[in-house]
Amino acid sequence: MKIAFALLIIFFLAFSGYHLTFRNIRLPLFARQFYLTGSEFLFLGLLLGPLFLNLLDLETQKYLDPLRALLLGWIGLLFGSQFEVSKLRRFPRVYFSSAVLEGILVLIIVSLAAYFMILPFSHTSSTIGVVMALTLGATAACTSHGGLALVGKDSGSQFGKLFTLLRYLSGIDGILPLLVFGFSSSLLTASFSSFSLISVLTKGFLMILGSSLGLVIILVLFLSERRRENELALIVFGATLLASGMAFMVKMSPLLINFIIGTSIVNLSREKERIYEVLIAMEKPAYLLILVFLGAIWRFDSAWIFVLAAVYCLVRLLAKLFAGFLITVSSTDMTQYPYHLGLGLLHQGGLPLAMLLEFQQGFPPPMSSWIVSLVLIAVLYNDILGPLFVRRLLKKNRA
Amino acid sequence: MANSLLVLVVMTMLGLWFSSIRIESVWQQTGLTTFSLGFTLLLAYASAQVVSVVRLPLISGCIFAGIIAGPFITGFLGQGMVERLRLVDDLALSFIALGAGGHLHLQDLRSRGRAIALNIGLLTVVVFGAVFGFIVLTAQNFLFLRVLTWTQIIAFASLIAVIAVARSPSSAIAIISECRATGLFTETVLGVTVAMDVIIIILFSLVMTCIKTMLPANGTGDFLTLIAIFLETMTSLGVGLVLGKGISLYIRKVGHDLPLFLLFFAFGIAKGSLWLDHFMETQFGVSLHLEPLLVCMSAGFVVQNLSGEGLSFMNSLERISLPIYVLFFSLAGASLDLVALKMTWPFAASLVLVRSTAIFGATWTAGALNRDPPRINRIAWMAYVTQAGVAIGLAQLAERHFPDIGVYLTTVVLAVIAINQVVGPITFKMVLNMVGESRYPKTSA
Repeated sequence: MKIAFALLIIFFLAFSGYHLTFRNIRLPLFARQFYLTGSEFLFLGLLLGPLFLNLLDLETQKYLDPLRALLLGWIGLLFGSQFEVSKLRRFPRVYFSSAVLEGILVLIIVSLAAYFMILPFSHTSSTIGVVMALTLGATAACTSHGGLALVGKDSGSQFGKLFTLLRYLSGIDGILPLLVFGFSSSLLTASFSSFSLISVLTKGFLMILGSSLGLVIILVLFLSERRRENELALIVFGATLLASGMAFMVKMSPLLINFIIGTSIVNLSREKERIYEVLIAMEKPAYLLILVFLGAIWRFDSAWIFVLAAVYCLVRLLAKLFAGFLITVSSTDMTQYPYHLGLGLLHQGGLPLAMLLEFQQGFPPPMSSWIVSLVLIAVLYNDILGPLFVRRLLKKNRA
Repeated sequence: MANSLLVLVVMTMLGLWFSSIRIESVWQQTGLTTFSLGFTLLLAYASAQVVSVVRLPLISGCIFAGIIAGPFITGFLGQGMVERLRLVDDLALSFIALGAGGHLHLQDLRSRGRAIALNIGLLTVVVFGAVFGFIVLTAQNFLFLRVLTWTQIIAFASLIAVIAVARSPSSAIAIISECRATGLFTETVLGVTVAMDVIIIILFSLVMTCIKTMLPANGTGDFLTLIAIFLETMTSLGVGLVLGKGISLYIRKVGHDLPLFLLFFAFGIAKGSLWLDHFMETQFGVSLHLEPLLVCMSAGFVVQNLSGEGLSFMNSLERISLPIYVLFFSLAGASLDLVALKMTWPFAASLVLVRSTAIFGATWTAGALNRDPPRINRIAWMAYVTQAGVAIGLAQLAERHFPDIGVYLTTVVLAVIAINQVVGPITFKMVLNMVGESRYPKTSA
């Protein structure tokens, strides 16, 4: 009964919430930013979790794991569906290489910093430490459109190319971090006592390839004829569940497998626009549900977590600035952009949260608790301050 | 068709691959449940596409897929997994009941009131009488019934006979939705099926009370129970009326995300009524059992007939009904007890035959008395064969009350349902096509 009740509550929150939140209501500056990003749902999750109401206790969360798997798959598919080659080609090629470069640089810098500066506090083995560091790096590298949407919703055109570039970078820069995170999660669930890195990665790669291929074939066959809207929803819903389930069963990342499937389908199927419509219809509720689930596992065991979060945010800011600077000097086409481009890439958004949820699912508390708490604080900070930096950057470089 | 067959082949390969994986961790267990859900959805949908080529209803495809994937054939969906996915049932049943209420049009019901009343009365009396008579007369010919005393045989026959009267509103609604059937015949069948769902509960309680008097070792009969059931039924209908008004208010004032709201509503009613039951029992010592199906039916009926929002209500239900039907009926297929069927198939097959003949007799007589066209009277029985959840629930309830005969009862009921649930949807779709009320060109004859 408690499970059903919890399910009802969180569904109610998500589906009523997404109509109420993300709206420009007159509130003090920081409160408005907080409200517009839906961050209040993290606190609702915290309230429903074991620390307060205990409605979403660990047992209930375990029962709701298939829902979490579905959410992860949904986000993965949605992210993958952005990689439509014909659409990406409309932009200069240097944009793509810049996005990849930016993502990988931030991933490396933050992962290294995490491994040497933050992880010594966690008292974990070196292998687990590597996975944790990569998770922190991957979550730091991702950027969301959210910050730009908040600033330039009605006036994006007045900021010209810079706005377009920032939009592009924040849509694409998560690709390599996601791949790295996806493979690292296979290390996470492997038997640490007797594994060889190469064999685990090779096996993981083959598993991902095999299962993704099977699912892509199924989807392409299903979508080879025009389906009604409810049939399409059933197919997408079923395929996401199937892919996420497969990923969990072979100890792989559901985000990664669904990302591969999303990318394949968007480039292979004639129904891509309609599929995207199905996916996007659930985007906001899915995001809010992820926030609720993460809020429920949020812990404040030590005040040190705030210090660590501050260090993480600082390292991320520096990494973004460095990566942005490197982009602008790496190509003559990019010199027209401001060197402090990284300031516009701080908003973290949904993908890192999904990564965090997946990390927590494969690596249950208490070991994952502090990473989750640290990143959540950082996400809150970046989601609130990110749009301010974006606004500042755009105003200084108005077209 | 070819594509759906290819999908089935690829899915079978994936299923075989993944069923060979050893489940060692909670992480993998989550994966297995999620995988099974997705696998069932897609497999059942692909099967439904394949069987639609031979004009079988969608739900038959789902049921076949469920039977094949279920614990008795391939075992891909084991008993434990079927139980775990049972959460879907509550949601689906309430959701289907909303649709059942929405499909009832007051105007048509008024015009078909006499036909509906005649069908209900005759189906109840004739089916009950025929099945009861058959069991009592032939009991000595079936090995497992020989061990029972005469009193037990009469009790057994009464319970099986009353359960035989039950139909499956969920199957009826699913097929009517699939065929987009409308018309006097559809309206009559729906009216009878929905009303039977209420009557069967009262009838069953009445029979239980009589049997308790016959078999005093199992407790004594109490006619207060009947009054309580009547009150609960009225309360459920009343609550449904209020909630139906709430739904129409939501549609009028808010309007967005209606499909999701209805899904949320259905799930809320299913779980809320259980919670209320438990709360009243523990806090006040009062047994107040709201029947979620009745609440939802009543709510759907109110939105359709007592507000101006019927069309958007039904359209929204239609938009999300497919995944729910597919999952619900494939799980129903996986739950069909083939072992019970194997054990008692001669008896079960005879019962199905007797029940179908009795249904034919009842519907033919009702049609003749109502002066319906003879062509329709001859085939009307085909719409009343389906049987599912309610019958199983009643059998399990009887088993708890009468353990001496309950084991036999449940086995026989499960076997009979296994046949009726496979045959019933097919005959129902056929009859809708034959009377010309099926509107879906893809499947019409």
